[in-house]
Amino acid sequence: MPEALCFSNKVEGWCDLDTLDKLSILAEGAKYDVSCVSSGSSRKNTPGGLGSGYAAGFCHSFTTDGRCISLLKVLMSNDCVYDCAYCVNRVSNDFPRATFTPGELVDITINFYRRNYIEGLFLSSAVYKNPNYTMELFIRVLKMLREEYRFNGYIHVKAIPGADNALVEQAGLYADRMSVNIELPSNDSLKLLAPQKNKEKILGPMGFISTKISENKEDIVKYKKKQYFVPAGQSTQVIVGATPHRDINILKLSEALYKRYKLKRVFYSAYIPVSNHPALPAIEKPPLLREHRLYQADWLLRFYGFSADELLSDSRPDLDEQLDPKCDWALRNLHLFPVEVNRCDYETLLRVPGIGVISAKRILTARRVSSLDFDDLRKLGVVLKRAQYFITCKGKYYKGIIMDDAFIRQNLVRENMMQAMKSGNMAEEYRQVSFFSNGYDYGYDYGYGYGYGHGRGHGLAGAGDFGFRGLNIQDRDFRKSLAGIGMNTGMSMNMGMGLVQGPGMDIALNIGGMNGVNMGMITAEEKMKSITGEL
Amino acid sequence: MLCYTYDGSFDGLLTAIYEVYYRGEDPKKIKSIEGLEQNFLDTYVHISTDYEKSRKVYNSIEKKISRDALENVYCVYLADREEDKDTYIYEYLKFGWKAGSKVDSYLSDDRVLRVHAIKRRVDREVHRMMGFTRFSLLEGNVYYAPIEPDNNILPLLAPHFSKRLPDQNWVIHDLGRRIAAVYNTREWMIADAALLGEIPRTDAREETYRQLWKQFYSNVSIRERFNPSLHRRLLPERYWRHLTEKW
Repeated sequence: MPEALCFSNKVEGWCDLDTLDKLSILAEGAKYDVSCVSSGSSRKNTPGGLGSGYAAGFCHSFTTDGRCISLLKVLMSNDCVYDCAYCVNRVSNDFPRATFTPGELVDITINFYRRNYIEGLFLSSAVYKNPNYTMELFIRVLKMLREEYRFNGYIHVKAIPGADNALVEQAGLYADRMSVNIELPSNDSLKLLAPQKNKEKILGPMGFISTKISENKEDIVKYKKKQYFVPAGQSTQVIVGATPHRDINILKLSEALYKRYKLKRVFYSAYIPVSNHPALPAIEKPPLLREHRLYQADWLLRFYGFSADELLSDSRPDLDEQLDPKCDWALRNLHLFPVEVNRCDYETLLRVPGIGVISAKRILTARRVSSLDFDDLRKLGVVLKRAQYFITCKGKYYKGIIMDDAFIRQNLVRENMMQAMKSGNMAEEYRQVSFFSNGYDYGYDYGYGYGYGHGRGHGLAGAGDFGFRGLNIQDRDFRKSLAGIGMNTGMSMNMGMGLVQGPGMDIALNIGGMNGVNMGMITAEEKMKSITGEL
Repeated sequence: MLCYTYDGSFDGLLTAIYEVYYRGEDPKKIKSIEGLEQNFLDTYVHISTDYEKSRKVYNSIEKKISRDALENVYCVYLADREEDKDTYIYEYLKFGWKAGSKVDSYLSDDRVLRVHAIKRRVDREVHRMMGFTRFSLLEGNVYYAPIEPDNNILPLLAPHFSKRLPDQNWVIHDLGRRIAAVYNTREWMIADAALLGEIPRTDAREETYRQLWKQFYSNVSIRERFNPSLHRRLLPERYWRHLTEKW
């Protein structure tokens, strides 16, 4: 092992673990922080320095759960004096403890950076000894990186709740981004699960950082050359599913944080049980689909001009699991549609399901030189399967569209699921939701679960689909996938309507068989039994 | 059918486009001579590269169409596994000289659409490789990174790494195309990889950091969220060969 890695730190008392063990313990402890963003800072390389920022950030690798690895995300220490029930590092948990020395951590960071493993450092920590002591350790690392090694890579550092403002400010002068994790969305839940923390301890530094950032922005305009303070802004994280909060509580909190503290990001982390504290829910799987929906809603707040009140209300406190929040909103506001793509303004375009920020901008550009029809929209990247119900082109509807809530909803739910399955994202969760929703959906949903399970089986999926959409209205792709089994239409009509009774089941199996997916038949049969059994 | 061929260089391509206008011919295709399989039915005319002519076309694209168009053309040129990319560039430019600076607004026109689509693909790979390129320290204090990208993106990667790792000697070696970007702490150049000679052994310190990185990588995944299909979509398997954490 090279010399730089070997010095043990006698002052801090951890010389019995080697760096490899430490890294593995301290990376393990940091991984539940979902943020790994390296964006927002375009720190330039300085003469003789190492590294440069890039405003959009890079992903250097991906974890096997599909999260981006951009930063060396580690804890300074996992040796905590606090006892927060939801946290692996709580003092009452009996497991190995480790603390990096600043020199060790700096050496790893620099060498990883030189090999292009990482974009920079994400430094978090348990509260080691006390908040100020931990914060001082951070500052030593940051100072060494920035001044001794002239490191210009990205640094994200936590503000430890309860640390002095002066220390937070000092760290902010070296960092690109700072964050304070809220974790639990209300003071009561904090009291219950994180007795040493309270709202003030968390919001205090957040408010302080936010004030400093805006002061710094003014100073930079006024005095031109001045050190930046947290140029990539601050973020926070909220745990989803550890407390009985509804989505509306969480989303309203995020909205307030964006407005009042000018936060750049709020991250949502599906709760993964790390302890069996009596106040925590016993769950088998983290609520990933809920987390996904919250992120979608969060995007709507930040980039699409929506407010939390438009998406949720006290009578509908949770986001729809089957439909993404934008489709859901559009369906509840059908009176606002359709909009004419060639004329309506940017803000209106953004509210159409299937049109995102990029495609909305493309529409604005393209319609300046020629008016657009549906075929053009598809080329611009608009997801017509979703957008078709909400727009007109040159005054015309898309072929075969019926402006009927139930009809549109069914098709959108299906489209949502197809999308998720194609991308490999959330497939499992969708499947669960779709299987055990309500009786009316079965014929159709069943088709999908099956289709996904075997990577094909569109035939069956389409068949279920027919049941709801009737014979006349099918989208073209589906007609294609059904080519050759046109005779199914009649039977699938039955399937949609009479699924729960015996005949529907038979037909489903027939169709499966005709597609030659024999494996599927077994699963289909079992699944069908479990569904009919439930009923 | 008339088909112009050129030597495979960017200047060669621009010269061919110059000749189209100069000779007043209307070739249906332009193709690089490299690896060209000649078709019995087509007539081939080879255009030899002329720097002057190429410069004229280059300036004309920049002035009469736009800087963006020039960038699009260059990026598409780098997509060297795209069989008809030269013809696409030619069609795009023909339209561009008619439409002027607004050419990139015709987002639903096939001539523009094709070029944009390939450009996006190249951009995406450049962005990916800026993250996925892995350097190893070799004896002699050189950082060495082998890559096998789908597009010829070295000219776009090198400036990035010269800004990012300015104080280290590095080589990025495109194994498939047998070329390498070489940087000596002052400037970079792209050279024939044969000039690299034998690749030295890795430095004694290298293994330590590889181990640390692999350890880190295996520790950050969350078991409860395991999602292999998403993983493969984001980190396609064809890149794994050169990713230290996947060895």
